Amino acid sequence: MAATFKRLGRDRVRVRLGHEEVAVLRGLPEQLRAVLTEEADDPVNRRLFPPAYLEPEDAGRDAEYRRLMHDELVRSKLANLEVVTDTLARGSSTVRRWTVDLTAEEAAAWLGVLNDLRLALGVRLDITEDFDGRVDDDDPRAPGMHLLSYLGWLEEHLLEALSSA
Amino acid sequence: MSTTAPVRERTEEEQDVVEPDVPWVVIVWNDPVNLMSYVVYVFQKLFGYSKEKATKLMLDVHHRGKAVVSSGPREKAEFDVYRLHEAGLWATMQKDR
Repeated sequence: MAATFKRLGRDRVRVRLGHEEVAVLRGLPEQLRAVLTEEADDPVNRRLFPPAYLEPEDAGRDAEYRRLMHDELVRSKLANLEVVTDTLARGSSTVRRWTVDLTAEEAAAWLGVLNDLRLALGVRLDITEDFDGRVDDDDPRAPGMHLLSYLGWLEEHLLEALSSA
Repeated sequence: MSTTAPVRERTEEEQDVVEPDVPWVVIVWNDPVNLMSYVVYVFQKLFGYSKEKATKLMLDVHHRGKAVVSSGPREKAEFDVYRLHEAGLWATMQKDR
């Protein structure tokens, strides 16, 4: 089977996925975008935008950090989501596979989004112990855990492609 | 004549001016979801650490629950925290003591 992510030369990465995989991925950015842009104090946002300072004496500094940097962080994550949405729309399909070539910047956005999606899913699934990717199918959270595991597998392969010279 | 200096509240800005060299440390905390390989990649990418150093730091985070990954003046530490937050790592900063 062809590699999911393959380094092409110095600064391109080829993505090859099955059609059902692309269908799953296309549905995810919008869900994360919705959480990132809502004002509500969502636990996912608390995880994605943690405090910079924990010491009580630094409370003022933390408020200042949040005031200056929070919107910047949201913008950065939304920009990554947009790249992933665009590249998922750009790819070409054959009978068996879907393929798209990413620039280095686009691949970095994919990495960021895969990781943010996993963090968000981890919060939703209330994962508090180190997750090794194994899923107990009797667990009512199994469907979400399988998705988390799949996204982890994708992320691992993208990292391998990015790290290969 | 008083033998002690007069005490007054100092504003945050003044503190920064008076103590420019107080070092701050940036701490990354263990997280059950982030991949070990991802954390190593982020440490290498953001800080230019070797694979060996990045891996050692990642293992410290994993086994001890946290590790100091960088240090320096407050502005630099805050920038590092920002970049770690951007990458989805759970990072905080505090005065080194």
